[in-house]
Amino acid sequence: MRQVKKTVCDFCQNGCHLGVSFDGYQYQIEYLTDEAPNYGRLCPRGNSANIVIDHPKRLSYPLLDGKEITWARALELIQEWRARCRPEEIAVVYSRGLTEEEIGIVWAFAKELGTENLVCGYLEPDNGFAYQLAGVKRAQLAELSSARAVLLAGDVFSKSPVAARLLLEARYADKNSRLVVVDSILTRQAGFAHLFIQVKPGTEFLALSGIAGIIDPKLKIDVSACAVQCGVSQEKLQQAARILSGAQQGLVGAAMSYGRVDNPLLFSLCAQLVALKADKPFVGFAEAVVPEGRLSFRDFRHKIAENKIRMLFWFGGLHPYSYSEVMPDLSNVSFRVATSIFRTNQTIPGLLLPVPSEFEKKSRGETLWEKVEREPVANPVSGSRLIVEIVQGVTNKVLTGMKVNPAKVVRVEEMVGMVYSSLVPEPRTVNQESGTINYLLLGERRAIGLGGFFDPQEEIAINPIDAGKLGVQNGDWVMVKTRTAEEGFLVKVSQAVPAGVMLVGVDAHKNRRLFSVEFDEQTGSSRIPPTKAEVWRAQR
Amino acid sequence: MASTEIKRKKKRLFVRLDYCIGCRACEAACRSRFKGEARVRYAEISETALLPLTCRHCEEPLCAAACPFGVIKKDEERGIVYQSSIHCVGCKSCILACPFGVLDQELLRRMAQKCNLCYDRDEGPRCAATCPTGALQFIEEEELPEQMVGKRVGARMPFWRRV
Repeated sequence: MRQVKKTVCDFCQNGCHLGVSFDGYQYQIEYLTDEAPNYGRLCPRGNSANIVIDHPKRLSYPLLDGKEITWARALELIQEWRARCRPEEIAVVYSRGLTEEEIGIVWAFAKELGTENLVCGYLEPDNGFAYQLAGVKRAQLAELSSARAVLLAGDVFSKSPVAARLLLEARYADKNSRLVVVDSILTRQAGFAHLFIQVKPGTEFLALSGIAGIIDPKLKIDVSACAVQCGVSQEKLQQAARILSGAQQGLVGAAMSYGRVDNPLLFSLCAQLVALKADKPFVGFAEAVVPEGRLSFRDFRHKIAENKIRMLFWFGGLHPYSYSEVMPDLSNVSFRVATSIFRTNQTIPGLLLPVPSEFEKKSRGETLWEKVEREPVANPVSGSRLIVEIVQGVTNKVLTGMKVNPAKVVRVEEMVGMVYSSLVPEPRTVNQESGTINYLLLGERRAIGLGGFFDPQEEIAINPIDAGKLGVQNGDWVMVKTRTAEEGFLVKVSQAVPAGVMLVGVDAHKNRRLFSVEFDEQTGSSRIPPTKAEVWRAQR
Repeated sequence: MASTEIKRKKKRLFVRLDYCIGCRACEAACRSRFKGEARVRYAEISETALLPLTCRHCEEPLCAAACPFGVIKKDEERGIVYQSSIHCVGCKSCILACPFGVLDQELLRRMAQKCNLCYDRDEGPRCAATCPTGALQFIEEEELPEQMVGKRVGARMPFWRRV
């Protein structure tokens, strides 16, 4: 008889319960049909949790410039490097994949090192949900299926398929139920919508602020300017506002994707503004929300460029190599220490330390719906050490974690001002320069299986008009060149993308390199917006 | 025993078209259990609809008839058409014979990837257990008429859509 160990999936904030069993040979996923919120149902990534545990690429010994060394030597090296740097020359970066306690310990570690350079390295758009608009109610799980008017901004179904079940039940429960979708791409979620507002890429927040402006004219938002900028008729925005404010029970949901949303902070706040004004609860479907550090990532990069950082600790799942633009900067840093679950395809210069995955450590946390405690469901990979043990090895002290609150509260008056400052026309359409046609490249982040992170995502969705211009058909090969990288793709001619826009999956690291990280000058927050790309037909 | 009773009931995989969001969790569940094999495939019927393609476990399976080595057999009691992976030689006859095109054209580990309705699992196939929206259901044949709301998408198509 198999023993099933229960846990809560840590891949996103939906908090699905799952079981893991081990038959002495391999780990397998078990479906816990009695546990809310998912009742045994799992998205593709949840199904792949067992692959994380016994993946052949798991790192099980420290690497120095790609070569194996012992833990004793690794810790000795860190001590040596630390002794050669002043405290202000050391930076500590943390990202997702750490438990709440571990983030607290990383904060305490930075304090112990005596450095103010404590940086959040999680640059994904999801961190926009860390900003909460004052007065907005957070949705409870039961409100998803009882909502009779649902507004979804972005592709929630792709991000959280398990929540899609409740939203679809709500859609079919009553003939008067209405589903409104605001997105730039005709997604499968949009196929279920009663009202689909297809905006120009990156302008979702303007459509949302327009809807909020219609519901509450006191906000004095220029609705017609919003409608013009996002390329939709004012009537559609009015229709959405009517649907949402007319229903007694409703909900506003939002999800963001890498390379799709122009400004995550405004996207998150505008969706919350609609919820606030329509008096409906709000839920932001994020994979993770990581609290900001003492130093913004933008300032951290400036410091690196000025050679002010000589030693770097990078804790957590996403690495410098996840962001193509950040990696070259790091060559300025002499001593690099990073933690990792997997061995990477490329050699990471410096020290790479193995840590247990989310499923191999105990943690306490909060999902969208409840507070949860996770027990380890598998033994840690041999050779891996917990962050607390690594920190203890470096400082020779047992540190207690500091309390870190991820949420930041923003007032309505502040954010309406931010929307107005963004109403400056920007060229977002196609233009022709010196014979090559520039397209707008968008990213699509889906809850795909973990195998997918290593699988190439080779398809690019191209509108039939653009396919005609390029002289390509389904299955042809095109090259895509952006400011940061060049990559080849298989053509998939699709009506889902508007003319002048192309769509690629951004779960594969190779495709992520096409997009670049930018920083908001006002707030210092990061964004990974749609990017301009040159596309031409090529031979594979 | 209760588990044996469950096994003996003839059940079918059924797709509720108006709940499928094309997330491919069914495929992921299959891949995770069968080490990379996707015995459930998917088909794109329009820009906004992607459907799981599952084995129908036919009354008279043509794949079994086409198999030159008798590797594919039918369990009449449970209504499962199953394949002995050890003896499959990868000749692709079953793939060509399947009238629904559900068997993947690609061989994996030199074998055809044939669904066996997870017969090792009392509760039914993993793809139905994991389906996030409940679009893929494993139900008895008697329960089928209750699920058939709306109309068929196309003549003789197994997919039904709410009107």
